[in-house]
Amino acid sequence: MGRPVAIIGVGQTYHGKRMDVSYPELVREAVMAVFKDTGLSPEDIDGVVSGTMPSMMEGIALTHFYLADAMQSAGKPIMKTETCGSTGVSIAHTAYYWVASGLADLILAVGHEKMNEGDSQATMTTVAEPFYQRYFISGAPGVFSMQSQMWTVRYGISEEKVRDAAAFISVTHHEDAFDNPYAHIKMKVSMDDVKNARIITYPVRLLDVCPNSDGACAVIFASEEMVKKLNRKPAWVKGVGYRGDEYFFGDSDKAVWESAAQAAKEAYKQAGIKNPRKELDVAEVYNPFTFQEMLFYECFGFCGPGESPDLVLKGTFTRNGELACDPSGGTLCTNPIGATGLIRVAEAALQVTGRAGAHQIPGAKLALAHAMGGVDQFNGIMILGSKL
Amino acid sequence: MSKRVGIVAVAQNAGAESKDNFYDQAYRVTKEVLDKAGLTRDDVETIVSASSDIYHGGISCANAYYWETTGAFMKNGSRQDGESLFALFYGAMRIMTGRYDTALVIGLCKGSENPPNDTCTLMYSDPFYLRNVGLTETMAAAFQMRAYMEKYGITEEQCAKVAVKNLGNALGNPYAHRKGRYTVEEVLQSPRISDPLTELQCAPQSEGMVAALLASEEKAKKLSRKPVWIKGFGSSIDAYDIGDRDLLDGQLKNAAARAYQMAGIKEPAKEIDLAEISEPYAFQELMWCEDLGLCRAGEAGKLIDSGKTERTGELPVNPSGGVLANNPYVSRGLQRAVEAYLQITGQAGERQVEKKVKTALAHGAHGFAGQCHAVAILGL
Repeated sequence: MGRPVAIIGVGQTYHGKRMDVSYPELVREAVMAVFKDTGLSPEDIDGVVSGTMPSMMEGIALTHFYLADAMQSAGKPIMKTETCGSTGVSIAHTAYYWVASGLADLILAVGHEKMNEGDSQATMTTVAEPFYQRYFISGAPGVFSMQSQMWTVRYGISEEKVRDAAAFISVTHHEDAFDNPYAHIKMKVSMDDVKNARIITYPVRLLDVCPNSDGACAVIFASEEMVKKLNRKPAWVKGVGYRGDEYFFGDSDKAVWESAAQAAKEAYKQAGIKNPRKELDVAEVYNPFTFQEMLFYECFGFCGPGESPDLVLKGTFTRNGELACDPSGGTLCTNPIGATGLIRVAEAALQVTGRAGAHQIPGAKLALAHAMGGVDQFNGIMILGSKL
Repeated sequence: MSKRVGIVAVAQNAGAESKDNFYDQAYRVTKEVLDKAGLTRDDVETIVSASSDIYHGGISCANAYYWETTGAFMKNGSRQDGESLFALFYGAMRIMTGRYDTALVIGLCKGSENPPNDTCTLMYSDPFYLRNVGLTETMAAAFQMRAYMEKYGITEEQCAKVAVKNLGNALGNPYAHRKGRYTVEEVLQSPRISDPLTELQCAPQSEGMVAALLASEEKAKKLSRKPVWIKGFGSSIDAYDIGDRDLLDGQLKNAAARAYQMAGIKEPAKEIDLAEISEPYAFQELMWCEDLGLCRAGEAGKLIDSGKTERTGELPVNPSGGVLANNPYVSRGLQRAVEAYLQITGQAGERQVEKKVKTALAHGAHGFAGQCHAVAILGL
């Protein structure tokens, strides 16, 4: 419903430990890249949507002020969308609704984070409620380790199998990242490297975890009219879904990630997707931890509950598999949090327009982009397709 | 506007420090706005909140903390940071797509649990140059006030009159945090905060859970006998560095022009019956009146002298007492819209203006010297 909306261009920074640039310079790099990609200039833009993770990350609050010039937003209408880790997809949603409402024809969405300016795990710990939960959480890995354990026990998956499957995901994604010019971590890893890596919080080991990245991503959303006028190859927004679960960790079932399942269901319904594993060509799943990626496969209906480790080991979700998941290397290799969800959207857009370069999935027509956050409370989805 | 969006119910809590915790306050306001519309939380389709992590008692990802308290459990929702009028806009946009018929928008800020506002606004400053100078919103406002007075010959007395008017109006507002009958002399003799700003010309730090329930045209007519329509809205952000900006020629004109165009307003001074303006510093009400086109540039001193903006005047400005009376930082823009709604529907109680209000303006501003502005036009 609403007017049709498409992504007509994307821009990314070279993500990594970017001590060569300041925070605004980093943002400018992504914004200039999307203008170069589309041939548009800042004057053409009707409004800007901006977003990051919490202020504590870089020690700057309400970053739309500081980054106004870098985003080329001075003199323009602005929105500032923040939903923790899912911020990137929520920014894309805001831009989508803005154009779909009929109020704008060209909206620039910018997600950004310079994580090496601060301490991401300290920041994440402040998401937890201060009286009871903060003492236990120890950043993001604590929660996600508990979740992995709960899931493997619930579905009777052997410790060995889940370890192997997670290691396989780490190996293949790290390999994929070599073909993505913007990816942060590019290293060859073997199954043994992952299984013997330093333990973070059992069963999560160092190579099961995403890095701290500096990075920004800029995406331009356009109305149907503008798509025609500018004669751009569009990635049409086919569906948007978002759900939020309870705040207290003990209040929700972690093995059945309700917000992820419901968000996907909402987006599939809009996109008319009935069998996601068959119909989708690419899924850019937000996977800061290898174990979570498997849970997401199940929540998104790529397979039944508890079935994902077997399919992972069969290669179902590799680049040459039935449904390519995170051919960009994903969040596991690049995680500038406020930008990460938007990078998933940008990668999905590149895939369905055949512009993903060395990591292009041949003939990709329908792709899913996803982000999760807060710590694990929120899940957001955007489905993009090559046809309206 | 392709699809009309109406406000069908509003709720807010009092601005003074409360012993009630964040959840109690947020829950009560959410429940109240739903009850007024005769809805349960299951009936609300989408929820857009506004809050800022920096104004959230040291807890990051503020919206994670209060998500289900606002009835958002397993719903499609989002959050706007910094300015609650953005949440109103976003809620309206969602309905305008035709995807939703109801949207709850709510601003959440419990000022008493935060460090002083300027400890927070200092965090807007860039870490290399301005942070070390100690630039805060109050300091930026003081620069702006001095420039404004010098350029247009506005006097300190005229600026103080805004505080006298608004704190006086607040006597009729049960939600107002700071209120009282003051004289111009008392305002000017209150302690100097950042010269030329005195304490009574600077907003307090308040609590504020502020909610509005939005609905599509059809649904609004079912839910309310007198829905108030969101006729237009617009925003604009300025360049960052205050040295790069003309502090007397900011972005409010652009934000207002966008809102007026959408609402079809050509002569704001004639067509707007009442304005609720964000004036965390007294003189800003004068400046913003000029930028909104309610009077000509440099003439707001005369405007306040004329008594036209009094609660009983021709063009009442901030009959609620405005932000000087109640300053839940993030929620204050939406609070202006809620007050405008109450005036239009005749539910403003003791602060109800005498004249008939058909069209009202709500304004939000945040950032150094008003770096960012948002304007909404509400009407019957």
